[in-house]
Amino acid sequence: MGLKNAYNKAPVAVIGAGSFGTVVANLLAENGEVLLYSRRPEAVELINKERVNNGQKLHPNITATNDMQEVAARCYLLFPSVSSDSFRALMRSMSQYLAPDHMMIHCTKGFDIQLEPGKTILDKDVVLLPSDIYTMSKVILEETCVKRVGCMSGPNLAREIADQHPAATVIASKFDEVIKEGEAAIRSKRLQVYSNHDIYAVELAGVLKNSMALAAGALGGLGYGQNAMAFLITRGIGEIIRLATAMGADKQAFLGLAGIGDLVATCTSPLSRNYTVGARLAKGETLEHILATSSEIAEGIKTVSISKKLADSTGTKTPIIQVIYKVLFEGLKAEQALSYLMEYRWGYDADYI
Amino acid sequence: MLESVIPKIKDWPINLIAKKRDKILQETISETVLEFNKSFSNLTAVRNQLQKTLYLEHIRLRSEPWEVDPEDEREFWNSVKRRLLEADPSQMDEDISKERHQEILQDIVYRYTNEIIGDFKPYIFWLTRQILVRFFARLLNAHFGGFKGLFNPGEKLKDKLIVAGPVDKLRDLATKGTVILVPTHFSNMDSIIIGFGMDYIGMPAFQYGAGLNLFNSKFFSFFMGKLGAYKLDRRKKNGVYLETLKSFSKTNILAGAHTIFFPGGTRSRAGNIEDELKLGLLGTVMAAQRIHYEKNPSNLAPKIFIVPLTISYHFVLEASSLIEEHLKRTGKEQYLSQEKGTTAGKGIGKFFWETFSKSTDITLSLGEPMDVFGNTLDSDGNSLDKFGNAVAIRNYFTNKGQLKEDTQREMIYTQMLGDKIIEQFFKNNVVYASHVVAFVAFELLKKKLDYPDLFTLLRTSDEDREIEWDTFKIAVKHVIDELYILNNKSKIKLAPHMTTKELEEIIELGINNVCIYHTNLPILRNKAGNITSEDLKVLYFYHNRMLGYGLEKRI
Repeated sequence: MGLKNAYNKAPVAVIGAGSFGTVVANLLAENGEVLLYSRRPEAVELINKERVNNGQKLHPNITATNDMQEVAARCYLLFPSVSSDSFRALMRSMSQYLAPDHMMIHCTKGFDIQLEPGKTILDKDVVLLPSDIYTMSKVILEETCVKRVGCMSGPNLAREIADQHPAATVIASKFDEVIKEGEAAIRSKRLQVYSNHDIYAVELAGVLKNSMALAAGALGGLGYGQNAMAFLITRGIGEIIRLATAMGADKQAFLGLAGIGDLVATCTSPLSRNYTVGARLAKGETLEHILATSSEIAEGIKTVSISKKLADSTGTKTPIIQVIYKVLFEGLKAEQALSYLMEYRWGYDADYI
Repeated sequence: MLESVIPKIKDWPINLIAKKRDKILQETISETVLEFNKSFSNLTAVRNQLQKTLYLEHIRLRSEPWEVDPEDEREFWNSVKRRLLEADPSQMDEDISKERHQEILQDIVYRYTNEIIGDFKPYIFWLTRQILVRFFARLLNAHFGGFKGLFNPGEKLKDKLIVAGPVDKLRDLATKGTVILVPTHFSNMDSIIIGFGMDYIGMPAFQYGAGLNLFNSKFFSFFMGKLGAYKLDRRKKNGVYLETLKSFSKTNILAGAHTIFFPGGTRSRAGNIEDELKLGLLGTVMAAQRIHYEKNPSNLAPKIFIVPLTISYHFVLEASSLIEEHLKRTGKEQYLSQEKGTTAGKGIGKFFWETFSKSTDITLSLGEPMDVFGNTLDSDGNSLDKFGNAVAIRNYFTNKGQLKEDTQREMIYTQMLGDKIIEQFFKNNVVYASHVVAFVAFELLKKKLDYPDLFTLLRTSDEDREIEWDTFKIAVKHVIDELYILNNKSKIKLAPHMTTKELEEIIELGINNVCIYHTNLPILRNKAGNITSEDLKVLYFYHNRMLGYGLEKRI
């Protein structure tokens, strides 16, 4: 750990140089030195030479690196920002370099599940219980010796932040010091930061909203307007809260920035990946075709399949998730899905508070 | 019996600490006063707290006096009242008033510490061990007959009181640092049984907190303190007392006392394995580890090891009174205590008699020892991550290289430790046939009767309690199948009889063992050969032990 102490102010690290990772790196760079880790050496070289990544210009305070050991030795505070599919493997490979004085604030809105070998989430006989589902903070705790864990979540569309639009985010952690360090590192004139101790709820809010973003994209793809969107958002937050409650979370965080805030942003912006997938489905493209022609993974597809299984195993009422699942994996047309929802007997409004 | 890790009782940490009684007393007092003044930094706050303490103590004296309370108790608190009136800051110089308040605080803390502190005596420990071994030997002889058992009670005893799990590692760690044993808690017998079990595997004696009510009896009182008990008074819930207790615990752990904490706080009223812990005393363990690092700047500071322990009995001495309390507490107006169906136990003597003379046993299932952060340990006590890399745990207490106290951080670490302990409780739970039959019978009744709430179910009339034998047998089979799966995933442990016996034998063994101790049988086969119950509440108690594994879905 000597390296870290050799610097008056240790740099902050971002792990993962995807589009959101780059956004986070640029935000952090406004307050100090940043190491941006990419697992691909050629990407590192390009970033350091061209000073551009994912279409975003890089702040001069950013240095890209491929050396995980260096990152761990020089930084106390790390922001992992990779897809949920590669998150666990990344943590495993990093764990040998990590130490108890590291803090991690992840930015990944996805779930991790560990299935038996040969099984996929779509198999009929796979039953998912809340205890089978890991948020990224749980993956960190399980795979590394790091205890001081947090997450950053909220209505933070990468494109808008890259374009210097103002935004607000939530840093959630059980530890006051993680919130404090995270806020000091990332707060700026263009990013307002709120805190929350309920990291589990904030993580769930960030992930579960992905399903609704797909549905919103489908509504947009079908050409419907704001009445339909408001209908989806309010009923959507209800489903999210019910499912999160079944997973053992408290409700409060869902009414804040990381819950309803993120849901509104992601459902009303054609910029999000999940929204785009939904819109393309509504226009008649198949999931296989969409997946084959997308450069980055839409977490929503995985979220829908996990949420559906979870709703089944916990007996939670989630009509929207059920129909999106059918559209994604069982060939139901988006129009049919919508008419199903229009005929569904919803009952009492705001029954989830 | 295994050879003692530290052969001479006089060299045991508990005895070395007992010899430093005055030092421990003084350190506890100054630590308590320091912590108290940290929380209540101005005169008004201190005065409020002392007044509150006085008020609560007066209520206690009036509503719950005990035999064990000292004779001058009332006199003492009256003097505190008088002194608080005299020290009124509006009537005198503030500095003098402050001083007076500190004196009062010191005196209260001194009194509390003197009450809490134990009085370990090596020769009493040695004597009790001799008596207990012979007592158990006699019980065993009653069953096995002959003289052989009398001369070699250890051989038979090891079948009766089974200490399972990483015994060797625990023995190794006993001389490498301070061991905190954190057991599940079902019965007042637990301390004695664990104490005996630990002695049996050669561990030096542990300190443990015993309810002050147990000291009401002069006989018990004499032995308990001298065997390593310190006193906990659950009536005293005032801030000064709780702070004293925490400081006492911290001081002793820092001095190296191997300690038993029941992290559930009290006995599990519902009969389930604790899934929520009281973190107050556990927090003192975390603080003690930090203080070790503050005092020893290198990574070589003394270490504290946490060892969870799950106790398995076929039957629990206080089952009916515990479940009665639980139902009263949770049911409130829905629960009407009825004469019928509550069965008194048969007493402590009977408990030991039944355990050691019949074909039944007790398992103390040790969990994997860990540091205060839940990392596993090698036999030298070094912390390892799950890949076997060394972890320098000192740095959990630092921020950017600076080691300092952060109470919020330590509170979260303590919660995390609590979660790890609970995880181990469940993993190391050794399932007995009796647990399975009670679980299945109660779940089947619940399913069959389909009442909206538990309390209606518990009032079910005798004729509605019957479960067809075949239905019962099939359900037991399904649950056992699921238990095998969980066992393969290391999520639970099975007693040997669960794997070596046939289905019907397991059922018979289970039913017989739940019933050995109870006058009204919680589970039995009626004349038609079907399953029924004479005491649904006690059945419910035993059933609860298997909660938390998702076994309900197999019924």
